[in-house]
Amino acid sequence: MTTESDARDQLIDLAADFYDQFAAGEIPEMELPTRTKSNIEYDEESGVWTYGDRTSIRSANSVNGARKLLKAAYTIEFLADQLDEDRSSTLRELYYLSESWDNDEAQFGSQDESNDLIEDLEIVTGVTREDFHMRPEESGATLMGPLELREQTRRGEREIHCQKDVGEGGYQIPNNPDMIEFLDHDIDFALAVETGGMRDRLVENGFDEAYDCLVIHLKGQPARATRRITKRVHDELDVPIVVFADGDPWSYRIYGSVAYGSIKSAHLSKYLATPEAEFVGIQPEDIVEYDLPSDPLSDSDVNALESELEDPRFQTDYWEEQIELQLDIGKKSEQQSLASRGLDFVTDTYLPERLDEMGVI
Amino acid sequence: MTSFQSSLGEDEGIAEELAESQREISIAEFFEKNKHMLGFDSGARGLVTAVKEAVDNALDATEEAGILPDVYVEITEVGDYYRLVIEDNGPGITKEQLPKVFGKLLYGSRFHKREQNRGQQGIGISAAVLYAQLTSGQPAKITSRPKGQSEAQYFELIIDTDTNEPEISVDETTSWDRPHGTRIELEMEANMRARSQLHDYVKHTAVVNPHARIELREPGLEEPWKFERATDELPAETEEIRPHPHGVELGALIKMLEATESYSVSGFLQEEFTRVGKKTADGVIDQFRDRHYGRELAWSPPSSRSTGTGATSADVEAAVEAAVANKGADATSSFAGGVAETVAGNDHLSRSDLVTIVGNVADAVEDDTGRTFGSTVRENATEAAWRVVTTGSAGESDAAVGDDPDADDAGDGDSPLVADLYALVDEATSTRKDDETIRAMAEALAFRLADLEGDAYRITRDDLERLVADAAAFVAEQHDATFGETARENVVESVWSRARTVPDDPPKVRDVAGDRDAAADLLEAMRGTDILAPPTDCLAPITAELVEAGLRKEYDADFYAAATRDAEVHGGDPFIVEAGIAYGGEIPAEGAVELLRFANRVPLVYQRGACATTDVIRTIGWRNYGLDQPGGSGMPNGPAVISIHVASTNVPFTSESKDAIANVPAIEDEIELAVREAARELKSYLNKRRSMQQRREKQDVLGRILPEMADKVSEVTGRSRPDIDGALARIMNNVSLEREVDDGTVRLVVENHSDVNERLEITDIVSTEPTDVSDGTVVDMDGEWFVQWKPEVASGDERELTYSVDGEADFEVSVGGVETEKLTVNA
Repeated sequence: MTTESDARDQLIDLAADFYDQFAAGEIPEMELPTRTKSNIEYDEESGVWTYGDRTSIRSANSVNGARKLLKAAYTIEFLADQLDEDRSSTLRELYYLSESWDNDEAQFGSQDESNDLIEDLEIVTGVTREDFHMRPEESGATLMGPLELREQTRRGEREIHCQKDVGEGGYQIPNNPDMIEFLDHDIDFALAVETGGMRDRLVENGFDEAYDCLVIHLKGQPARATRRITKRVHDELDVPIVVFADGDPWSYRIYGSVAYGSIKSAHLSKYLATPEAEFVGIQPEDIVEYDLPSDPLSDSDVNALESELEDPRFQTDYWEEQIELQLDIGKKSEQQSLASRGLDFVTDTYLPERLDEMGVI
Repeated sequence: MTSFQSSLGEDEGIAEELAESQREISIAEFFEKNKHMLGFDSGARGLVTAVKEAVDNALDATEEAGILPDVYVEITEVGDYYRLVIEDNGPGITKEQLPKVFGKLLYGSRFHKREQNRGQQGIGISAAVLYAQLTSGQPAKITSRPKGQSEAQYFELIIDTDTNEPEISVDETTSWDRPHGTRIELEMEANMRARSQLHDYVKHTAVVNPHARIELREPGLEEPWKFERATDELPAETEEIRPHPHGVELGALIKMLEATESYSVSGFLQEEFTRVGKKTADGVIDQFRDRHYGRELAWSPPSSRSTGTGATSADVEAAVEAAVANKGADATSSFAGGVAETVAGNDHLSRSDLVTIVGNVADAVEDDTGRTFGSTVRENATEAAWRVVTTGSAGESDAAVGDDPDADDAGDGDSPLVADLYALVDEATSTRKDDETIRAMAEALAFRLADLEGDAYRITRDDLERLVADAAAFVAEQHDATFGETARENVVESVWSRARTVPDDPPKVRDVAGDRDAAADLLEAMRGTDILAPPTDCLAPITAELVEAGLRKEYDADFYAAATRDAEVHGGDPFIVEAGIAYGGEIPAEGAVELLRFANRVPLVYQRGACATTDVIRTIGWRNYGLDQPGGSGMPNGPAVISIHVASTNVPFTSESKDAIANVPAIEDEIELAVREAARELKSYLNKRRSMQQRREKQDVLGRILPEMADKVSEVTGRSRPDIDGALARIMNNVSLEREVDDGTVRLVVENHSDVNERLEITDIVSTEPTDVSDGTVVDMDGEWFVQWKPEVASGDERELTYSVDGEADFEVSVGGVETEKLTVNA
């Protein structure tokens, strides 16, 4: 990991690269890995998916390229100053803050633009956003389970037990989970849950207590902080991670980003992805086996499934089998559809059966 | 009102009578009735037309004399009338020439002359004179000073409206400051409501006659309006040509036939038409024979027929021998043998061929034997042999073959005609036709051919077509087999190409002249023969160069293009189309483009909407060429002037007033091609301009952004601001020039960052004498030295130009050969 002064140095080095290019009479440019699905490669060593060798060049030789680099120069200055002052800001704040810059050309046109630029800078400098002191608008999700930790907050250190010291809402994961130190735990496995409804059901049914399970709420597509803490729980506490999501193509992508990393942040896969994470359900197989209430697959579902078959992250025997089965039956089911067998079915029957099958319990 | 219905030649009296009654209308009445056609339908328009006719005359007169025109036009108000004065520096007019120039209405000398001239139709100035006379009662006042004469002559001329004869009422000597020329003064009822048309006319005349100097004064102008000449080059002199055979119409042809002194059609064609020599005349006459007499069908000689009739060469010999009497056995047999042998040697022969064969053999036998074979003997022999060829037997039997196929369905009794036709039809039709249909067609055709007059099977193509169609209809009806149009056409074609042009002499000229059908056949023959396009030395195009010069002279634009097409022919008259385009600059950007129309260098100012040029401009998709065109058709919009010039020995106008060019497809095609040619240049100019504009915009934006970026990175890194010129030049795909001076050595480094090779012209002005100059030239100019290089620098390459100076020196460099947008100089 980088320290704050490292992060600052990296940013200044990038500015210095631009400077040197100017001075040498060259056109300033910035080389980035091409951020498309086709340029994602499996890294044998770490077991995660990272960017391949193909690169794109952001060059000042076009009006748009020059504007991007000008914005990069202004953003570098802003981030360097922020790090100097030990402040932090959100991605959205950066977007609004650009309006105060003295140069119209340097202002961002949309938040996507500023978000993309931050990602570009992460990739080029090798420094994470968190180390730039940039955070997302929505904070990370929550933890519930037998884990004791110490969080370094701006208001001093806090020691928190994620079952005893928290309400039903659980422990809120901070933006930079690397500020957390794990103290003690009694976890047998961690269950990452996609939806809030299911997470609440598990807590209400006392699943975390009954099985010594750390329930991680993913809140849909998980934020970086959620993925990072999941990885740390796995790596540092040596507990298995299982992902519990809906039985549809979009939820498989949620699993994919937990386990293999996402396309947009493939440069951080080694830091965010937990390749050992397993998918507990809902599997297409379960829809058939438990005869779950289902919806027919829409056209976009079918397209998404087909595109997953092409996705290097899903090219395993397990996923090919499951996706083809789903295309075959043409159905999808939500986590909550388990309630058709009663509110306790998920905690009493489904999960124990599945986890047993998987050898987790 | 008596109604006269007559056809030519039937009753000549009526035509005479008509002509007689026409002459009874007074010229004034005629003029009154036709003034709209002549361009004098209102006072406003009359004035413009009068100016136009007089200026056209002046320009023609000066050019014919090889003088650069200097034309002065003045319009003044005189009481209730307007006085129009036109002066030129032409050769002047003698008293004898006056009636010719200002002569009778519609009796101009140019009416039938095939030469490009402004006043093409002979209405011209005489109509203006008459108009002036009729409206103001004043005579035309003409001052003329022929070249080399010390005195000028002053005339007053009126046209006697009863006799349509010009009369000179005053003839006196006067003095005039012009060394030579003509001055016409007309007083007429008029007004200046058509001022803009007048101005257009004069301005456009100047555009299209860059060799002319024109001055206009009229009451509405504070200053005289002067158009100076842009070239000292007179238009090429034009030659008069005879009409082209492809361009005459029947009436004109009959008139020419009546008027010619030639006796034979061949002589007539060669004498009266351009591009017709002996060979072409023969070609036309062959076509004429085919149309007038028809062709004779040719048949296979007996011996070459494998099966069928049983007639052989021996039958021919026997028939000929039987037809000859009292010529002695030897002569008879060698004659008959000779004919039979020659006949057998032909693939196919017509009756005329046979006549020739018999004649040749008879001549040869006469020479050998001393016996005389008179025309009766030859005729009899021909007839006997022909009967064998066409019927298969020597007997008198009729050659008819039944339409009923049951009569003889086997090959045995077939007429030789049927066998030949069978082969032709079979060859001409698709393989899907079954044998029975083909045989039925051959028989039906033979049956109908047998009905032709005489025994020579002489038939015109039209008749053959009718006959084949009739036979086909019969076959279709009787045999339930379709014999479609294509099959019929193919049969006609194969039979026709087997037929022979007859050797008959064509009718004499006077016979053709007297026979409308024969004349029509001749006309068709002329049109059906390939004949070289007419010569073009009768035309005087402005040339693309001068079209452009003309536009350049009168329009302050950013871009000019012009194109001249090669000569083409319409109706026997050669024509050339030229087009020019001016774009941008001071030309108003709002509204439709301005269209300048010219015919034989005369601007057309009225009836724009009826003109072929306008129609063509409207149909062109101007968006392709970078002009705005609402709806994708119609007149384009934008800051452009399009000029179109049609030069021809006979420009087809929509009316006598010569305001609009008629929609003749051949001319429209050429107009379109000429305009498109010029428009293509416009397009590439506009594209280039657009890309230059984009380059400038890019340069503007990057020129702003990059220094700011450089400032920002130097701020962040805490270093001084970097020099970004090199990066900028590279980004702009530019050519950069940098100077380095090191210890008396000057180095100019040219870097070409563009994607094309650049040929530069670099001049460095140095304050002290340079030495060791690298392959450049040095010129000493009063203590300043001009060092010049012309390096070619390949794309992506760089060149170093060096020299040495002793001590301190000042430099000033300039770079040519590359657009300034592409150049970054740091020296």
